[in-house]
Amino acid sequence: MQNLITSRLNRLTYKGIPVWRHAQVIQWTVQIVSGVVVVALVAWFFTNIGNAISDRDIPFGFSFLSREYQTPIGQHFLPYESSDSFLYALVVGITNTIFVSVIGVILATALGIFVGISRLSGNWLVSKIALVYIEFFRNVPLLVQLFFWFYIVLALPTVRESYSLGNIIYLNNAGLYIPMVTGNGVAQGFIWMGSAVAAIVVGVLVHKTRARREEQTGSASYPVASGAGAAVVVGLAGWFIITAINGGFPLTITTPEAQGTFGRFLRGDGFELSGGLMALLIGLVMYTAAFIAEIVRAGIQSVGKGQTEASRSLGLSALGTIREVTFPQALRVIVPPTISQYLNLTKNSSLAAAIGYTDLTNVAKTMTQTAPALSIFVLIMAAYLAMSLTYSLIGNIYNRRISF
Amino acid sequence: MSTNANTGPAPVLPPPRFSRGAVGWARDNLFSSWYNGMLTAVSGALIVAGLWWGLKWVLVDADWTVISTLGGFLAIGEYNTEKACEGQNCFWRPQVSLMLVMVLAGMAWGIARGGTARNIAILAAAALAAFAFLPYSFERMGMDVRLLMAANIPAVGVGWALGRHTRLGTVRGVAFSGVGVFVIILVLLRGLPGIPGLEPVSVIYWGGMMLNLLLAVAGIVLSLPIGIALALGRRSHLPVVKALCVAFIEVFRGVPLITLLFMSSVLVPLAFPEDFPLNRLFRAGIIITLFSAAYMAENVRGGLQALHPGQAEAGRALGLPSWQTMTFISLPQAIRNVIPAIVGQFISLFKDTTLVTIIGMLDILEFGRSFIQSYVLEGEVVYLENQKELLIFIALSFWVFTYGMSYVSRKVERHLGVGER
Repeated sequence: MQNLITSRLNRLTYKGIPVWRHAQVIQWTVQIVSGVVVVALVAWFFTNIGNAISDRDIPFGFSFLSREYQTPIGQHFLPYESSDSFLYALVVGITNTIFVSVIGVILATALGIFVGISRLSGNWLVSKIALVYIEFFRNVPLLVQLFFWFYIVLALPTVRESYSLGNIIYLNNAGLYIPMVTGNGVAQGFIWMGSAVAAIVVGVLVHKTRARREEQTGSASYPVASGAGAAVVVGLAGWFIITAINGGFPLTITTPEAQGTFGRFLRGDGFELSGGLMALLIGLVMYTAAFIAEIVRAGIQSVGKGQTEASRSLGLSALGTIREVTFPQALRVIVPPTISQYLNLTKNSSLAAAIGYTDLTNVAKTMTQTAPALSIFVLIMAAYLAMSLTYSLIGNIYNRRISF
Repeated sequence: MSTNANTGPAPVLPPPRFSRGAVGWARDNLFSSWYNGMLTAVSGALIVAGLWWGLKWVLVDADWTVISTLGGFLAIGEYNTEKACEGQNCFWRPQVSLMLVMVLAGMAWGIARGGTARNIAILAAAALAAFAFLPYSFERMGMDVRLLMAANIPAVGVGWALGRHTRLGTVRGVAFSGVGVFVIILVLLRGLPGIPGLEPVSVIYWGGMMLNLLLAVAGIVLSLPIGIALALGRRSHLPVVKALCVAFIEVFRGVPLITLLFMSSVLVPLAFPEDFPLNRLFRAGIIITLFSAAYMAENVRGGLQALHPGQAEAGRALGLPSWQTMTFISLPQAIRNVIPAIVGQFISLFKDTTLVTIIGMLDILEFGRSFIQSYVLEGEVVYLENQKELLIFIALSFWVFTYGMSYVSRKVERHLGVGER
């Protein structure tokens, strides 16, 4: 009997090899089985959800996006009213997340580089302070830190007793109020921004051509000075032209203002950073900077000592050595992990849900009470993936430029 | 014979006094230039001011009673309350679990014969035994609780003896004991119906630091093998397997953990029948594990990519089949090279366990938050206002574990000679 089965099976051959020992057959079986299992699992999961949804009469699909959201959003940088649609409310949430992410990335990079360089300082005290900072903030959960900063912010004085700096900056337990520059009308604002961008572009171009000339001919061409000069000239020209056309100053500076009985209320002009946003920014920046500091330290240490010595023996100054030899090489080590820290910061900003800042996740979480949860999760996952991919793309382009 | 008495080397003079000892050290490290001197003065002043202000706050202004008031809640949550464990005392179950962990630590010391394992085992047992002498009244912390705490010291001793003198005293033996202990702990905490003294305790009452540690250990134990499997899948030549692994990794890495946890609490229950035994603890645990596995996969893949292809080629040339080449040649070297990244991922997994707070589970942080306004102790409403003290205490509790993990990782790295070959 045993022999009969084996002999029958042995006759099942593919290119002369028994089927179950043929590499290609095994590989394809594995692939088909795993593919079918995964597809079946996913289908089962979503069918069940679909059934549950139809049982509970929650409409499924994306038609809710055009309905009115009718829920207030605490802090928003785009104009928002409760009568706006779900879709627009999601966009407001995305802008809030992007705002935290961009400001957080800039501040965390600055602080991280500062701490990372302090860590390498020859001064024992400075290096140890940086070490304590890094080891503490890296090793404590971000959420604990966020709660801590949030309670610090809540412990600030009330609006009535705000700290104020020259009556233009106010700090209290509702947030930070600072002056803000706004264009008189959207169109003029855009013209103004356009001329500023033009100034920067011309400045950069002049700097580049002068720098190339200096590199190729060896004659002093003052790239920095000429670039900055060109930018100032273009900017001033734009300023005069716009002022002449407008017949007035194109920008207004608005300041927050204490109003009401006993200066109790702050007028909505200027720029408001709500308490939750402040706590979130402080927490994210302190936490991420500790990681970036370690990356910067490792990057600078990864450049061989011989590089510095060779550069010094070629006659470059200490500063020139850092600028032209050490740092460009360290950047190759620093940039890739730093980009993943930027991604982490963006994703960690979703912890805002715990301290009352209305970022994308928080808005979406509130929406699941009145709209189909499945559609909302699909949308926010797409939004986060898009943000991650954008950061990766920018980072990879930059990385390709600085690598060998 | 003209002799010169001075043909030998000149006697070595001692270095100048100002370059020796404390003075020399300070000259080199604090005042090597006017600029460094200024930095020293400024940062010294900052440290003195910070220490003055910090110590004054810690010793005088801060009110640490909140920590003693919450006491056991921070450690084990509501596990030993009347609603979790009706008509019986359940405190001994987490405590015996702790003792089993200490036995494991003792076994590690036994096979390592000293060094870091010994230091950690002794330090942990001593710290736990010190809890037996907390100045609580005997009504709040009974003699039995204190004795079980003190028993951690003999537990380490038993573990040491097991590791030193029995057949369990191998790395493999300790690893298997570890898995066994974890299962025993789960059974002990969950309870078994029908056995007196082991009445079931619903997992929704598991809380405090115990919950964070359980989630972290389960996540660490499971995420590494899943991560390795995903990494191998991503490097596979089979297009379907590769595509599935890439999709899994990128989706889980691209989305915040919080979003996934919300999904696990809102969406996943819809996919299962109402009475399906998948409560929110397991859902959160599974999500945290899978999230961590996606990152782990990328770490392992980095290690595999950094490995010279000659290693795998040599393995194949020796006649090993490809799975043996992977298991015995490539993977061990790849993983050894990325130990820092893997331990870093373990640490961030442990920190991420605090996020279960946001979906309403009672981990240590949720106790630090939800009980901030008020809570009921022995029938009386207690109002708490000192949140900062509580949060600082929680931060330090986490710090002890995470710093310990990175310390051990550095020791292991040095032991394996990473970066020296």
